[in-house]
Amino acid sequence: MIRANGVYLRYPDGTEALKDINLHIKPGEIVYITGPSGSGKTSLLKLLLGMEFATLGSLEVMGMPMVKGKTASINKLRRKIGPVFQEFKLIDGRTAFENVMMGMRFLGMPPRKMKDEAKNALIKVGLEEKMASKVENLSWGQQQRVAIARAIARKPALILADEPTGNLDQENAMNILKILHNVKDINTTVLITTHATHLLDGIEDANFLHVDNGSIRVEGKGW
Amino acid sequence: MKTFLYNVGYFHRETWRIVKSNLLSNLFSVLGTGLILFLFGMVATGTLIGNELLAKLQQEAEISAYFSETMDESVALLLVDEIKEIEGVWNARLVGEEESRSQMEDLLGEEAGILELFEENPFAAFIEIRIHLDSMDTVLNEVDNLNGIEYVRDNRAVLERLQGIIGGLKIIGTLIILAVGITTLIILSHMIRQGIYNNREQINTLRLLGAPGSFIGFPFVMVGLLLTLLGGALATILINVLINSGYSSIDGALTFIPLPSQQGLMMNISILIIAVSLVLGLLGSLFGLSSIGKNR
Repeated sequence: MIRANGVYLRYPDGTEALKDINLHIKPGEIVYITGPSGSGKTSLLKLLLGMEFATLGSLEVMGMPMVKGKTASINKLRRKIGPVFQEFKLIDGRTAFENVMMGMRFLGMPPRKMKDEAKNALIKVGLEEKMASKVENLSWGQQQRVAIARAIARKPALILADEPTGNLDQENAMNILKILHNVKDINTTVLITTHATHLLDGIEDANFLHVDNGSIRVEGKGW
Repeated sequence: MKTFLYNVGYFHRETWRIVKSNLLSNLFSVLGTGLILFLFGMVATGTLIGNELLAKLQQEAEISAYFSETMDESVALLLVDEIKEIEGVWNARLVGEEESRSQMEDLLGEEAGILELFEENPFAAFIEIRIHLDSMDTVLNEVDNLNGIEYVRDNRAVLERLQGIIGGLKIIGTLIILAVGITTLIILSHMIRQGIYNNREQINTLRLLGAPGSFIGFPFVMVGLLLTLLGGALATILINVLINSGYSSIDGALTFIPLPSQQGLMMNISILIIAVSLVLGLLGSLFGLSSIGKNR
C-alpha cells in the first residue's frame, strides 16, 4: 500500500521536515503516527497525499510513484484516499450533508447511493441530528466529525487522518478512533497522526510509528 | 460523462451560488457585456446593410455604349446581341432616343423643364449594358473595340468610391469586432478569476479530494456562459429596438435605398449576437479557468 525508501523532505525555506523515512505499510493495516507538534507527522501525510514531494528518496502509494508533475495520476490516486485534515477543510455555507456529498460527487456514484453513503457516514459519527446544519454553525468537534464522515463515506482504500481527535473530548475521541478502526473491516488502510498518546492505551490491533525531529524513532506493534 | 449526468443538479446550484456570491459585480458584467455586444450588433447591422447596398449597386453597375447616329436600329440590335456574349455582361438592351430623354427627365425631376428649351431631342440612342463590377475593365475594353461603337461611358468612379467607403467601413467594423471580442474576454475572464479567487478554499479542498479540473471548472464555465448569454440577450433587445425604430423612421422617406428586409435583418443579427456571446462566454471562461492549474 505504502512504500518509502530513504525519503527526505526539505521545504524551500531550508527546513528539513523529514529525514531518511523508510516505511512499508500493507493493505488493511492501521498505523498510528505519534510525535510532538512539529515532529513531521503532517509533512509525512502531505507526502502521501501528493501535497508535497520528496526531495530525496522514493515513495509509492498504491503502486504509484509520488513524483511532481503527474497531476492527473495524483488526482486519480486522491480519489482512492479519504483525507481528514487537521484544519478540516470543510466548505462553508453548506450543510454537513452537502459537505459529505461533496467528497463523493466525482467518484461516479449514482445520486441515490451517494445520499445513502452520506447519511450512513454521518450517522456513524453521531451527527444524524446535524445533517442539515451549516458547517460553520457546528462546534469544532462536530466539524471534525463531518470531516471524518466525508472521508469514510468515500469508501477509500486509504484513510489519512491528521489529528482526527484533536478537538474532541475523551469520549468522542475514543468513538472516532473506534469508527476509524472499524473501516478496517472493508480492508481500508488507516494512518492516524496524533500527539495524544494517552488515547492509545490498550489499542492492540494497530502498528505505531513515533516520529521525532523528522525521523522515525520507534516502530512497533502495540504500545 | 456519467459523473456530469449524476451531478446536473449540483452544477446548476453551484452556478447560481457563484453568481449570487458576487451578484452586483456579475450584474455589472452583464450590463457591460450587453453594451459591448450592442456596439458589436450595431457594427454588424451596418456591415449587413452595407453589403446589401453594395450587392445591389454592383448588380446595377452599368455602362453606356454610344454608336454612330447613322447606324440602323437593326444593326444596333445585332450589336446588342454581340455585347451580351461578352463575359461579365449579364444584360444589354437598346435604349432609344425617346427613352433616353425620359430617363434624363426622371433624373432631373423638377428641373426637367429645362429640356423644353431644346427644339429637338438632344439625346442619342445608346446601349445600356449591365455588368458584373469585377469584370468592368475587360468589358469596357471589349465593348470599346467593337465595330460601330464610338464612345463608352461608365460610372466606375461612383462605384469605386462606394466600394472604398464600404471597404473602409468593413475595416472599422473588423477593428470594432476585435475590440469587442477582446474587451468581452477580458471582462469575463476577470469575472471568472474573481469567482475562482472567492472560492479558492473550496477549489483547493476539491483538488485535495481528487476532483478533476473539469468537475471543478464546469460551474465556472456555466457562469461565464450565463453572463455572456444574458449580455447577448440584452444586446439583442436593444439592437432590435434600434433596427425597428430605424426602419420606421426611414419608411417611405428613402425608398431608393435598397435595405434588406427588416425581419430577416433582425433575425440574422439576433442569431449572430447570441452565437458570438456563446463563443466569447466559452473562451472567456476557459481563459479565466487557466488559473486553476496547480496540484496543491
